[in-house]
Amino acid sequence: MFDAFFYVGLPYMALIALVVGTAYRAHKLRFTNSALTSQFLESRQLVWGTVAWHVGIIIVLAGHAVAILLPGLWRALTANYVFLVTVEVIGMAAAILALGGLSVLLVRRVISANLQSVTSVMDFVVLGLLLFQVLLGLGVAVAHRWGAVWSTQTVTPYLWSLVTLQPDLSYVTPMPPMMKFHLIAAWVIILLIPFTRLVHIFFFPVGYLMRVPQKVVWVTRRRFEQNVTVRQAEESRRYFLRTAFGLGGAGVLLSLGVFDKLVRFFSGPVMAADEETELLRKKLNRLEQAAKERHLELERLRSEYIHVANLAELSPTEGKYFIDYQMRAALAFRGADGMPLLISAKCTHLGCTVASTMDNQGRILCPCHISYFDVKTGQPNAGSPAKTPLPHIGWVLMDAAGTLMASQRPGGRVEGAVDATKLQEYRVYIAKQFGDLA
Amino acid sequence: MAIIPLRSGGWQGLREALADRMPIEKISFKTLIQKKEVPVHRAAWAYYLGGLVLFCFLIQLVTGVLLLFYYQPTVSDAHASVEYITKYVSGGALIRNLHTWAASAMIFFVLCHLLTTFAMKAFEKPREITWISGVLLLLITFSFGFTGYLLPWHQIAVNATKVGLQSIEEAGRYLPGQLSEMPGRVRELIQGEAAVGQATLSRFYAIHVVFLPLAVFGLIGLHLLTVQLHGMSQGVDKVTGKTERFFPFFVLKDFSLWGIVFLIAAVVALCLPFEAFFSYPLFAPYDALGSTPDGIKPEWYFFFIYYPLELLPFWVVMLGQMVVLGVLFAAPWIFKGTSRRTLTTIAAAAAAYLIIITLFGQHIYEFFKGDM
Repeated sequence: MFDAFFYVGLPYMALIALVVGTAYRAHKLRFTNSALTSQFLESRQLVWGTVAWHVGIIIVLAGHAVAILLPGLWRALTANYVFLVTVEVIGMAAAILALGGLSVLLVRRVISANLQSVTSVMDFVVLGLLLFQVLLGLGVAVAHRWGAVWSTQTVTPYLWSLVTLQPDLSYVTPMPPMMKFHLIAAWVIILLIPFTRLVHIFFFPVGYLMRVPQKVVWVTRRRFEQNVTVRQAEESRRYFLRTAFGLGGAGVLLSLGVFDKLVRFFSGPVMAADEETELLRKKLNRLEQAAKERHLELERLRSEYIHVANLAELSPTEGKYFIDYQMRAALAFRGADGMPLLISAKCTHLGCTVASTMDNQGRILCPCHISYFDVKTGQPNAGSPAKTPLPHIGWVLMDAAGTLMASQRPGGRVEGAVDATKLQEYRVYIAKQFGDLA
Repeated sequence: MAIIPLRSGGWQGLREALADRMPIEKISFKTLIQKKEVPVHRAAWAYYLGGLVLFCFLIQLVTGVLLLFYYQPTVSDAHASVEYITKYVSGGALIRNLHTWAASAMIFFVLCHLLTTFAMKAFEKPREITWISGVLLLLITFSFGFTGYLLPWHQIAVNATKVGLQSIEEAGRYLPGQLSEMPGRVRELIQGEAAVGQATLSRFYAIHVVFLPLAVFGLIGLHLLTVQLHGMSQGVDKVTGKTERFFPFFVLKDFSLWGIVFLIAAVVALCLPFEAFFSYPLFAPYDALGSTPDGIKPEWYFFFIYYPLELLPFWVVMLGQMVVLGVLFAAPWIFKGTSRRTLTTIAAAAAAYLIIITLFGQHIYEFFKGDM
């Protein structure tokens, strides 16, 4: 009952109030849509409060929005540890910034008598509620780490269940109390938006971004009497100098950063002993593998026969990879007649290496563009991207002593006689004499 | 039809035509700095795109040179050296990520630049040289992408390169007699040996770090020189007459845009490895004896040709590609009398195709081939 009210009833109430109330204010009370300015009365603290608050809260809300609207993408991104840490740090920093700004705004309302005359009770309620909400959010982020990840599995589906009008409380009930309060406070704030100054978030003056900066100044007698052109020139010079300093400063910082990175990049890494051994071991492995390939190449240039496997090793369903005379991958199976069945594994479509496991229809799959090849005939399935069959490869069987027992040219018949009792001892070779594939 | 309408025949005419297009005598401090104006109108934002491509290229140049200090182009060491850069070298991950991200950004901006300049009819006489050099630069940019993709020598890269090169050979099926051998020879010429191996890596490396950059330097020089000679194209059918000074106003805005792009690129490179979007283990080194991993795909910027290749008969795609290339090169002459309105419609259609095939190519592919 309690849960149903706070996580289903309240949200719908808040959303309805939000839509109806905002629409009403937009229509009937046009001029109340912005937050009442207090800059005239107190501007020194305001700038520290309002800028910090707005920058902080916009970043935080943007993070919430991405996790809610694009949970799939967000989950994929946060699976990356570096990214996760970065967004969590940015989020917390923004929350602290918002908190600081909000505190300044609250203190300012409390201590300035001037301001109190333009402050309504609702303003205090909003400030207090927001402060409470940001504190809760920060608390959740610290106490239950990696909210960027778990929120996509809990909060996002809960919110979507509300949107699709099939409220699902099972996501909310197991949440820790702090998170529950954070949710409730969020709904209360949304409920209050149309009744308070918060409504200004929907009437963001986009034009402000494009227009020339304007500043409201108190017209005093002195200023009034001063020559306007002189003042304009003064202002524009100040503006120019400030901009130049800003840009110059940014340039210096940027070059310092780049320089620092470059120096360290060139001086190279300082590695721990175990890291160094690990790296060397890896490099040695790779070298050995490269050497192995060179050996294979040399062997193919020199030898008349190359050992593929022992006949006993071959399986009728799981092919064994070997390298043919053209240095291309090939597969060795054992055919139904007990003789070897050698087939090229280089897909006739675009040259990918075909997988080695036979499916229950006796076919092997090229994973690149999904062609199935029948091992017995080499033919691709109808409609596959590959049009020509995988060629078979000729083989030679020798016994342990190296006497040639049987052979098969590609596409030809098995020649020679084998001793069925000694099959297990036989070795399978490919032969240079068979040359090109059939 | 004369390609370039000559006022008089022979050498004299050619000289005159060239003089019209390369009025070098116009260059002076006055014309370039003091007097240069940029038109102001609805589509004026497109004037910044070429600059962004140039900026991305500069990032590529700097980060690329830095990567050269640690990268080793051999089959046994390439992968380990890339891993070394990202894992151990201070700032190495940042520089490599910046290199990959800026590469994508460069392709993105180059395509935007192509479409907008086409829509703005920036190829009109006397800007044919700018346009042709631009099309060549586009091809070079894609070649950068293709050759650079192989260099880390991991499973996906090598197999994708194999597939890409094999499709050259595929063209042989449609050629008669002796000619059908040609594409296969071309492929072997590019990859340097029978299979993709050390020779291929060495060639791609040389092409990527020496040959293509040199070609870009020359062509960018020509491209920028002709842009400076003729100024910005008017860009719209109805000239507004409004302009702004190139220096300092346009330049300042251009540089602030560069600053913003650099900031975004640096932040993204800092916290998001390029591979973060891939679900497969990109970092497995290439194993010549193993099987090809599932679902290998080229980089996103080749999707526009990759998915058609998957779905349509090979000759259709090849023919389409030839036609598009031909149209691109001949655009100044084909669309001579076309209004910018029509050009904009064509460019918008091309943009729609590129966006849809890049974002939803996989869905389209599964829709048509899902039953297999």
